[in-house]
Amino acid sequence: MDKLELYLDQVCRGIAGPRSLRQHVRQELREHLLDAVAVHRAAGLTEEQAIAKALDDFGGPEEVRGELETFHGHRLLTTVVDKSLEWKEKTMKARWLWTTMAHLSLAALIVLDGFFIVWSMIFLVPSYIKVHEDGLLEAANADVQPYVDRADELLMALVPVANNLATYWFLWAFLLIVVWGLFEWRVHSENKSLMRLSALGLAALVLTVSVGLTGISLLVPYAVALPTLYGQSPEPIVRDDTAAIATALEGLEKSVAARDWKASELDLSDAWSAVRDLAGRGAAAPALLSRAEQPKIDQIRAALQSASHSMIDIQNAILAKDPDRVSATLKTFRDAYQTAVAEP
Amino acid sequence: MDSELLKGTLSLLILSLLSRKPMYGYEIAATVHRDTDGAFTWREGSLYPNLHKLQADGLIAGEWEEKDTGRKRRYYHITQKGRRALREKLKSWKELCQGVKRILERTDGQA
Repeated sequence: MDKLELYLDQVCRGIAGPRSLRQHVRQELREHLLDAVAVHRAAGLTEEQAIAKALDDFGGPEEVRGELETFHGHRLLTTVVDKSLEWKEKTMKARWLWTTMAHLSLAALIVLDGFFIVWSMIFLVPSYIKVHEDGLLEAANADVQPYVDRADELLMALVPVANNLATYWFLWAFLLIVVWGLFEWRVHSENKSLMRLSALGLAALVLTVSVGLTGISLLVPYAVALPTLYGQSPEPIVRDDTAAIATALEGLEKSVAARDWKASELDLSDAWSAVRDLAGRGAAAPALLSRAEQPKIDQIRAALQSASHSMIDIQNAILAKDPDRVSATLKTFRDAYQTAVAEP
Repeated sequence: MDSELLKGTLSLLILSLLSRKPMYGYEIAATVHRDTDGAFTWREGSLYPNLHKLQADGLIAGEWEEKDTGRKRRYYHITQKGRRALREKLKSWKELCQGVKRILERTDGQA
């Protein structure tokens, strides 16, 4: 009767409308065919012959399906599936090529996933664990802290598994080889190739999901906690910025004195870049405030912005190759800059 | 008999058979086969789209009935609207038959 059910599948699965309608139509057709089979059996045919005769009398599945779908309409999904299968049949002439490509692609994906896991276990996870143990993974915004915690918990749960894999990799590899060997030796199914491909696909899927989860759980806490991390120790960064500005300004003055306009443009560019960085750092003002002990952060930010803008005047003076104007604009810059970075 | 000719008259046959008594799909097909001594060769599967269309048009109605054997059958019976449609179709059929017959009689000697 499998043949009969297969026939009913072919005829009924494309009928549009609710599932109950398809079930009713299928039931009705099945009853007709069962009646016909019973009559043919009573006439002396074997079960197989009776089914074949009943199906033959009923009509080809494509024709009956077409007539039913003309009245009831057809399902879009079934059309898509049928077209895909048709395409597969047409393009599967070079079957070995497709199969080999599928196996190689999945194997390559598994190897890449494996490399990422090993690499992250050696290089990323240890540094992450250190930051985690130092208690630095705190979000600037308390609302997002639960997400950081969740990602952190996920990673902490994955780490022992990955560690286990990494530590006992030879055992897992041995087990894998044994299972694979048994499969190749004992399984003689005609679907062996499909089973092998499915196993590879499953392994690739599991590893890719693991890689994705590891990546997300590493990235989220860092990304969310980064402003907090930076806010906790801005002074060294601000100190580097101010040192870079001082060096560049010194170089600029020397270049202008030597009438080396090209060098002066380069020095200006360095200074400008460093000032822009400093002005753009959220934690710069508090850090400078602690050094200068000035009352208002906004004043420092405004001074830094003013210093940054005065760089345009210096550039224009350099382009005009006018040393007096360079000195004057440089002085304006220094005044604004000193207001911001003045030592206590 | 040409199955295309039969296709055009299938709804008339169904209505005519159901005017006798309620029937299920296989019973309709078996009755057509029996009453015509197997002269009609047609795809039995064609019966169901026609039954569903007649039902959608309100000319027949279907009901599931469960038998003692546990088998379920969908019995169709003709409605009042179906009976009126049957009368009109029979009238048209007779006119068609007479017209075709007259033409064929005149052509018969020349063929």
